[in-house]
Amino acid sequence: MTTAAEVVPKAVAAVAPRAATIRRQRRRRLRRAVWNVVGLALFVVLVFPVFWMVSTAFKPDNEINSLSPTWFSARPTLEHFRDAMARPYFWEVVKNSLIVVGAVVALSMVVAFLAAVALAKYRFTGNKLFVVLVIGILMLPQAGLVIPLYVVLAKYGLTNHLLGLVFTHLVILLPFAVWTLRGFIMGIPKELEEAAMVDGSSRLGAFTRILLPLVAPGLVATSVFVFITSWNEYIFANVILTDQANQTLTVWLSYFYGTSRATDWGGLMAASTLTAIPVVIFFLLVQRKIAFGLTAGAVKA
Amino acid sequence: MNIRIFAAAALVAALSVVAVGVSGASGGSAANTLTVWLQVDAQSGWPEVVAAANAQFKAQNPGWDVDVQYQTWGTHLAKFDATLAGGNAPDVIEMGNTEMTKYSAAGAFQDLTAISFPNKSTWLAGLAASGRYGGKIYGVPYYAGSRVVTYRTDIWRQNGNKVPQSQAEFIALAKKIGAKNTAKTFSPVYIAGTDWYVAMSFVYDYGGKIAITRKGKWVGALDKRAALAGLAAYKRFFEAASRAPAGSNEGTPPPYDVMAHGNAASTYGAGWFTCCVGDYKNRVAQFVMPSHTKGQPIPGFLGGSDLAVPVGGNKDKAAAWISAFTDNASMTALRAKGNIPNTTSLLGTSVNERAARRSWFVPQSKNWVNVENGNVLRTMLQRILSGRSSIKDAASVASDNITYTLNQ
Amino acid sequence: MTVAAEATAHRSRRRPRLKTIAQASVPYLLILPVIVVITAILGYPLYKLVTLSFQQYGLAELIQKKGVWIGLDNYSSVIHDEVFWRVLLRTVIFTAANVVLTIGIGTLIAFLLVRVSTWVRILLTAGLVLAWSMPAVVAVQIWVWMTNFENGVLNYILTELHFGDYAGHDWYGSTFSKLAMVTLLIVWGAIPFVTITVYAGLAQVPRELVEAAEIDGAGPVRVFRDVTFPVLKPIFLILTSLSIIWDFGVFTQAYLLIGSSAVDTSNYVMGVYVFIEGYSHSDFGRGAAISLLMLLIVAAMSVFYVRRMVKMGEAS
Repeated sequence: MTTAAEVVPKAVAAVAPRAATIRRQRRRRLRRAVWNVVGLALFVVLVFPVFWMVSTAFKPDNEINSLSPTWFSARPTLEHFRDAMARPYFWEVVKNSLIVVGAVVALSMVVAFLAAVALAKYRFTGNKLFVVLVIGILMLPQAGLVIPLYVVLAKYGLTNHLLGLVFTHLVILLPFAVWTLRGFIMGIPKELEEAAMVDGSSRLGAFTRILLPLVAPGLVATSVFVFITSWNEYIFANVILTDQANQTLTVWLSYFYGTSRATDWGGLMAASTLTAIPVVIFFLLVQRKIAFGLTAGAVKA
Repeated sequence: MNIRIFAAAALVAALSVVAVGVSGASGGSAANTLTVWLQVDAQSGWPEVVAAANAQFKAQNPGWDVDVQYQTWGTHLAKFDATLAGGNAPDVIEMGNTEMTKYSAAGAFQDLTAISFPNKSTWLAGLAASGRYGGKIYGVPYYAGSRVVTYRTDIWRQNGNKVPQSQAEFIALAKKIGAKNTAKTFSPVYIAGTDWYVAMSFVYDYGGKIAITRKGKWVGALDKRAALAGLAAYKRFFEAASRAPAGSNEGTPPPYDVMAHGNAASTYGAGWFTCCVGDYKNRVAQFVMPSHTKGQPIPGFLGGSDLAVPVGGNKDKAAAWISAFTDNASMTALRAKGNIPNTTSLLGTSVNERAARRSWFVPQSKNWVNVENGNVLRTMLQRILSGRSSIKDAASVASDNITYTLNQ
Repeated sequence: MTVAAEATAHRSRRRPRLKTIAQASVPYLLILPVIVVITAILGYPLYKLVTLSFQQYGLAELIQKKGVWIGLDNYSSVIHDEVFWRVLLRTVIFTAANVVLTIGIGTLIAFLLVRVSTWVRILLTAGLVLAWSMPAVVAVQIWVWMTNFENGVLNYILTELHFGDYAGHDWYGSTFSKLAMVTLLIVWGAIPFVTITVYAGLAQVPRELVEAAEIDGAGPVRVFRDVTFPVLKPIFLILTSLSIIWDFGVFTQAYLLIGSSAVDTSNYVMGVYVFIEGYSHSDFGRGAAISLLMLLIVAAMSVFYVRRMVKMGEAS
């Protein structure tokens, strides 16, 4: 660059601003590099606990017991995964968890969507009361409700029964779902809705035919939250499902450390890894939609 | 995603789950099923004993089935409370012996006094006592476990290879071992600081008690001279032998893990610890923890389990199952697993059975569990070992707290 | 007027009214399923919670299913218990620390996400997702495993990096240290939700506005205050109120990480306190009273945010 400037002095005037842009670009690139380093450091810190779980799961026992930890096992083994999966009721429990989560996500989306439409698009007496009810339920201390809830489920014959847990999770999660979905629906431009009504369809019909697709990202985003919370819920599942064959994964996991005998760290970490896999898969499937979806909902709510 | 497909799939999923759930409901506990809650220890330790008892019960009670539901110690009481409130408690439940009194007093169990269980006349006295309340029998002794010293034979061999006969000898040995390995995480005798089962053994060894009854009222006794001497002995022993933090407890990490990591030459704890010391499995042996009086064992905490029949359960069938599960054949099998059987007639001279000759038990008050859950003793021990307060001050705070809690 | 015409007029007069009624009932039909599910499952427990709080209701009463009415005794015994006030103060501080750290760090990471290269952004997002997907019970076990004093990897790393000799350091030795570990665990688990939400919100900040402000000579702080923050404000409202509600009532992490053998009056937070008083001590009446007091307190703490949320979202 400098040589060019020397050789063609006339061009100096033109080159100077270009040099400035380049300098600015260089500075920007440098700044980005710094941010990248910060980002990578954060990534390491954030992921370390998960990494340590997975890394432990693949280590043979003597490496787990070693006093100077190794980051990656020298002799990785699948033994802990085999042990965990060979534990009593593993596959039943996986099935149970999937059933519960599937039902909770499906039911809560349908039910919450209807209520969210009411809140977002209609003015009606008692809507404030309903909002207060929804938020109030979010605030309830759950520990205080365990026994009375069990009594109710016992009256319906739903204790030690997946359906009992499905209803419980519904009650815990509906308020959140209604609240976020309401935000998404409010985000839909009014013109679209009016256009649908001019077509002669009723207000509700307009929603289902034209506007429901627009809310899809919102439904996905909300369902991720519902999925994760239901999949990970422990307190109610533990009390409601007394029989191992009926339990969910998080409760099944507690049997690793609930015995008075040795805690099998390798097995526990392998089992924990297995537990997390479905959530990660689900998240990856809908990951693109959620970033967009959450915005729309949050901003308008 | 096509929204209509999504909605349809959601609905189908929801409906099918409801269907699955409803059909599952009918397959639940039928009228002729005996529901039994055992701790998960039986599932991992002696499932064949359970299976044999079930087979025997089914043979004697045609048309009956047994549904054994395994529970964990940390959460089984919360679940039990819920089922008591919901009116669907199990027919038989395994209870820790320290948990019995509270539930017996509240009327959670059916009176089993009139039933003739196997070996009833020779039940282990210490364990049987936990099943009695107000002159009635609510719990059948299941099995017990004593505490012994598990030690590394290789380290012992390098240090004279002698079994200490008194606490003074043990302290001297511990200091010798500790001088050779000065790592901060290495303990000659690993004891978690707030392991109150160990600490109270020292208290009882010096003739102290946790609480006594006077005129029908409970009085905390840790501030009495004998108990204070015991606590002081515990502190001396801990400081000489264990490098665990003052606030540590025997749950995290479990002592056998510490041994498995090569971080302890020995530990004082349950008899089955030899199972879980990793690569040192063939280099460990056990002896009885000595008293401060030469040649005597220290009084050990007699932990154990009882089997009880909650209200609403089928008493006759439950009793029949308990009888099958606690007969001589079952007890012999349990003993072979390193447990102490529920009857003196089967008692031998293994190291954990010798250790059980002197034992102590928690005050039998319905409120004792609250002292445990409030971690009153653990808090006291942490204060003492960390030097945050004197033995006397810490003990008197704990003692007042115990007096108050037990009389509530 | 002919009969037919009259009939038509009549119909035309009645029809709109019917339609109005039908239309007016639509929102109620829409919220009906939620109301039914919540009332069927939660109605009785709520009623029970309130009545229990006025009763002497222990284990014996639980078994006989009959409590003794004692009026306000449970409430007065709770508010005259100095432990309650100490726990409340501790929990408020704990909640404030957790909320500020979660939202603060989460937001900073969201801003960072905008500034890094794509591949770093993908990596970081993946990391956030992994952290988010850990069930609390699993996360607690990982924490116990990493921070145990004996062979925990945390002590190893700190020692190797020459932060001092951490061999055998007990992270659960003091109340502050215990609660700090719980905070670390909660913040780690809650950051992903905050970051992903805020990051999504940042995408909605109009670029032209930011550039215009920058041309006007506004520094990054002013750009944030005048341009970015107003757009993000509704998001912050939701995140803050949800975080307050969740962190104030936290139980799983605080109970399991500190451990049932180490929780005592010196380190209870509200969620643990109500569990010990109500369940472990089998004083369900008192537990119910504490639960309801907690509800009032958290409502008072978040009323500011919730009211603004309700107002902001008035149906159009």
